[in-house]
Amino acid sequence: MKKRLAYGLLGLSIFAAGCSSAGTEAESGTAPKTEDGKTVVTFWHAMGGQAQEALNETVADYNASQDEVQVNAEFQGTYEESLPKFHSVAGTDQAPTVIQVQEIGSMSMINSGNIEPIQKFIDEEEYDMSILEENISNYYKIDGQFYSMPFNSSTPVMYYNKDAFKAAGLDPEAPPKTYEEVEAAAKAITESNPEMKGFALQAYGWLYEELLANQGGLLMDNDNGRSDTPTEVAFNNEKGKSTFEWVKRMIDAGTFANYGTNGDNMVSGFLAGDTAMFLQSSASSRDVIDNAPFEVGVAFIPHPEAEERQGVVIGGASLWMSSGKSEEEQQAAWDFMKYVQTPEAQAKWHVGTGYFAINPAAYDEQIVKDAHEKMPQLKTAIEQLQATKPSPATQGALMDMIPEERKIMETALETVYNGGDVDEAFNTAVEQVNAAIEQANAARGN
Amino acid sequence: MSMPLSQKLFLYVLLTVAAILVFAPALLALLMSFMPSEQILTGTIIPDSLTLDHYRKAFERFPLMSYLLNSLIVSLLITAGQLLLSSLAAYAFVFLEFKGRDTLFFLFIATMMIPFEASIIPNFQTIRDLNFLNTYTGLSLPFFAMAFGTFLLRQNFKQIPKELKEASEIAGIGDLKFYLTVVLPVAKTSLVTLGVYGFLSAWNMYLWPLLATTDDSVRTVQIGLKQLQSQEQLNEWGVIMAGGIIVVLPTLILLFLGQKKLQKGLTEGALK
Amino acid sequence: MSEAAVSIQSEAAELIGKAKRKRRIQNTVKGLLFLLPSIILFSVFLFYPMIRTVYLSFFLTNTSGMPTVFVGFDNFINIFTSPLFQDSLKTTFLFVLYTVPGTILVSLFLAVLANEKLRGIGLFRTIFSSTMGISVAAASVFWMFLFHPTMGWLNQFLSVFGVEAIGWLTDPKWALFSVALSTIWMNIGFTFLILLGGLQSIDSYLYESADIDGAGYFYKLRRITVPMLSPTLFFVVTVTLINAFQTFGQVDMLTRGGPQNETSVIVYSIYRDAFVNYQYGTASAQAVVLFILILLLTLLQFKWGERKVHYQ
Repeated sequence: MKKRLAYGLLGLSIFAAGCSSAGTEAESGTAPKTEDGKTVVTFWHAMGGQAQEALNETVADYNASQDEVQVNAEFQGTYEESLPKFHSVAGTDQAPTVIQVQEIGSMSMINSGNIEPIQKFIDEEEYDMSILEENISNYYKIDGQFYSMPFNSSTPVMYYNKDAFKAAGLDPEAPPKTYEEVEAAAKAITESNPEMKGFALQAYGWLYEELLANQGGLLMDNDNGRSDTPTEVAFNNEKGKSTFEWVKRMIDAGTFANYGTNGDNMVSGFLAGDTAMFLQSSASSRDVIDNAPFEVGVAFIPHPEAEERQGVVIGGASLWMSSGKSEEEQQAAWDFMKYVQTPEAQAKWHVGTGYFAINPAAYDEQIVKDAHEKMPQLKTAIEQLQATKPSPATQGALMDMIPEERKIMETALETVYNGGDVDEAFNTAVEQVNAAIEQANAARGN
Repeated sequence: MSMPLSQKLFLYVLLTVAAILVFAPALLALLMSFMPSEQILTGTIIPDSLTLDHYRKAFERFPLMSYLLNSLIVSLLITAGQLLLSSLAAYAFVFLEFKGRDTLFFLFIATMMIPFEASIIPNFQTIRDLNFLNTYTGLSLPFFAMAFGTFLLRQNFKQIPKELKEASEIAGIGDLKFYLTVVLPVAKTSLVTLGVYGFLSAWNMYLWPLLATTDDSVRTVQIGLKQLQSQEQLNEWGVIMAGGIIVVLPTLILLFLGQKKLQKGLTEGALK
Repeated sequence: MSEAAVSIQSEAAELIGKAKRKRRIQNTVKGLLFLLPSIILFSVFLFYPMIRTVYLSFFLTNTSGMPTVFVGFDNFINIFTSPLFQDSLKTTFLFVLYTVPGTILVSLFLAVLANEKLRGIGLFRTIFSSTMGISVAAASVFWMFLFHPTMGWLNQFLSVFGVEAIGWLTDPKWALFSVALSTIWMNIGFTFLILLGGLQSIDSYLYESADIDGAGYFYKLRRITVPMLSPTLFFVVTVTLINAFQTFGQVDMLTRGGPQNETSVIVYSIYRDAFVNYQYGTASAQAVVLFILILLLTLLQFKWGERKVHYQ
C-alpha cells in the first residue's frame, strides 16, 4: 500500500522537479534590485518585428546612460494579449512597473484602478509636459490630467503610386485632397490601366474613426467621451455616413480594391501595382517607400468636399505606471519615462521605426534631418499632425468599449465592400454600437 | 505478388501529385524565406536572387537557441507527464472494477469538450497563485492530465486479455507490478504514438506559453515566431517565414526519424 | 437439508460476500489512487475553470474579469437573441460540416494510396504526415500568402486558366471555405497517420481471399477496408469533430472572424468577448453553450456510432 501511495505521489514530485523560480522576488514596500544595487524596472511591451529592435535599443541606451536603474523590456504578445494578463497580475509581485497600452485601452486602464496616474509625478516635480507635441498630448490629457506617458504614436496618411499617377495623366505632385478628387483620380487610373484599381480602404475601425474626425465628426456623445462617459453614438449623421457612401461610389465605378481587414495584403497589393492609393498608418511609411519598385507619394488623408479638413487623431500606445509598487520603483520608472521623451531618444525612435517623435525638438536632431532629406515623404505625416485643429473630434473618443466599436464598423464596411446596402449596413452598425455602449455602462454599474 | 507496371506508374503519379499538393504551402514558405523582401512584396514567384538575410535577422531578433531549448524541455515534460498520468488512468479504467467507474470515465471524456480558450484566464490565475509563472512547471502542469491520451490508451489496454490479469492476481502480482511489467511493455508502441502526438502539440502551443511567462527565461519558440510580427508596421514576411521554417524544422525531423516507430505503433493496432 | 449445513452455507456465502466487498473497496481505493493525479489536475485546470465559467455567465464583469453585476440569465438571453451569436453558431456548424468530412476523405484517400507496397513509399508517407509537425501559427502564415488576392499562388494558378481572381479571405462567400481548406490541410498529417495505421492492421488474408473470389478494387474498399477500419474511423471522427468545434488559431490569424463575421466561429467569438471586449460574462455564457453542444453531439455520436462500428 505504501508503495502505491508513493506512486501516486510520484506524479506530484515530477511537477516539483520541473519547478524553478525565475525573475526577481519583490517584497511589498521594497523595490527589486539587481546584484549591483540598481533598481529594477520591468517594462511590458507589445512591439514585435523591427519596432522591437528600436525599442530594445532605447532601453539599452537608457540603461547605459545612468547607473541607478535597470530597465528590463519584456515582450508580452499583441496589445490584446498583454492586457488581460496585466489585469490578472496587477497588484502582485508579478506585475510589471511599466506597461505599454494601445490608445483605445486608455479608458479601461483608468477604470481598472490598477494604475498610478503619472500626473502625480508631473505635479511633484512640476515637470513640463508642454515640450510634447500638442496634438499628441491632446489625446492623452484626460480631464486635465495625464494618466500615462505618450509613446509610440502614428496617424494614417494616404500613400499613392506616383508612376501610376503619371501614367494616368495626373499630376503626381498634387495628390487628391477630397473624397471627390480621390474618386476622380481612381477613375482616371483604372481607365488608363484596367489591371490597376484606383483606391483601397482596409476595413479597419481606426481608419473609419480618422476619416470621421477629419470632417469634425464625433464618434460618441458627451464630446467624444471627453466631458462625461458616453451614452450613445454621435456619428449617426451625414458625416458618419459619408465614408460609406464614398466607398460605395468607388465600388460601383469599379475603381475600388477590396482587401478586407487585412492590411498586409493591401500593402503588398499596392507594392505589386494592383492598387494606386491606400490609407495606412504613417508608421509604415519607411517600409512602403523602401520596398516599392516605383516612386511613392505620401499625402494627407482625404475629406468630403462639403466638409472642411479638421485633421487627425493620434493612434498608437502610451506607457502606464502600475499602482501598488514601491515609491522607489515608481520613481525609477518615472525616470525612464522622462528619458524616453528626450529629443535624442525620440530622434532615434522616429528614425528607427517611423513613429512620430512625441517631442518635436527631436526633429531638429541631425539623424532626423538626414533621414528626412533622404525620404522627404516622412515629413507629410508630421505636417498633417501639426496642421490638425484641436477639438473634441480630433482629440479622439474615449470609451472602454472602443475595440468593440471598431469591430462593428469593420463588419459594416465589409458588408458594403461585398455589395451590401449602405443604409442598412450603417444603421445596423449604429444600433450595435449603441447596444455595446449600453452594455459597457451597465457592466461598470453606472 | 506484383502489380502491372501501368498500375504502378499510375500510383506513382497520383502519389507525386498528392505529395506536391500537400507540401506546397511549406514549399512556398521555404522559398519565401530565401527571397529578398522587395521580391516577396511585389509578388514574384520565382526569385532572381536568394539571400540568407532573413535567417540572420531571425536569429538576431530573439534568443533563438534558448527558446528552442525551452521548447524542448517543456515539450518533453508535458510528454512524460501525459504518458504517466494517461497510462495510470487508463489502467484504472480497464483493470480495476469499482463503483462509478463508467461515470468517471465519461467525466474524463467530457473534459475534452471544454474549449481551452474559455478556461485560459482562470488557469492563468491559478498558476499565478501557485507562484508558477515563469517556470517550466507553470508551462507544463496544466497539460499533464489528458483525456485524449487516457481515451487512446484505454482502447489499447482493452486488447490485453483479462485472463492475463486474473492469472497474475492468482500468482500474487500486485496492480502496480502488473502495470509496470506487463501492461506498459505490451502497450509500448501506442505509448510512443501518444508521446509523439503529445510532443508535437506541446511544441506547437502558443497562447498558454505566452500567458504563463512574463520574461524570456522559459519562453518557447512559438512566441519567438510571434515576436517577429509587428502590429502597426509592415511585416517582414521573409523574416517571419524564416522563423516559421526554423520552428517547424525540429518537429519535421522528429517526424521523419519517428516515422517508422510511429507507423509501427499504429500498425500494431493501437487504435482498435 | 440440515440446519447445520444451511448455516455453514450461509456462513460461506457471507465470507465470500465479505471477501467480495473487501475486494471492491480495495479496488475502489486502488482505482482512485491510479486516477488521483489525473483527477487532481483535471479538477484544478479543467473543472474549476468550468465551474468558474458557469458562475461568471450569470454576471457582468469589469476589465479584470471580476464579476460586478448579477444579471441572472440575461447573458444567455442576450446571446440567443443576438443575430451575431446565431450567425456564429451557424458558422461553427458549417465549419464542422466542411472540415470533418473533408479531413477524413482526404486523409483516407492518402492513406489508401500510401498503403500500397511500393519502393520509396516511406518518403511519401513522411510528406503526407508532415503537416502534423507544422504549428497552427506557422501554417496560418503560409496559407495567408497562398490566399493573397493578387500574388497568392492560388489566384495566380487560376489566372493561368483564365479564371477570375477569388477573394479567398475577403469574399464572404469564400472565406469560411478557405479557412476550412487550410484547416483540413493542418489536420491531414495526424489523421493520415492514424488511418494508415488502421489500414495496415487489417489482416491481409481478407484481401487475399477476396482476390481469389475475383473481387474488384472498389468492392474490396467497400466491403473489407471501410468496415474493418470503422473503429479507427470512429476514433478519428470523434477527435476531428471536437477539434473542429474548438478551432481558434487559424481564424485569428487568417481572417480575425471577418469578412462580415462570416468566419467568426464560437471559440473565436469567446476569445474576442473575453480578450478584446472584456465581457467575460457573455464570453462565459457562450462557452457554456458550446460545452453543452459538443457534449450532446459526442453523446449522440457514441450512441449512433458504436452501433455502426464493426469490432473485430
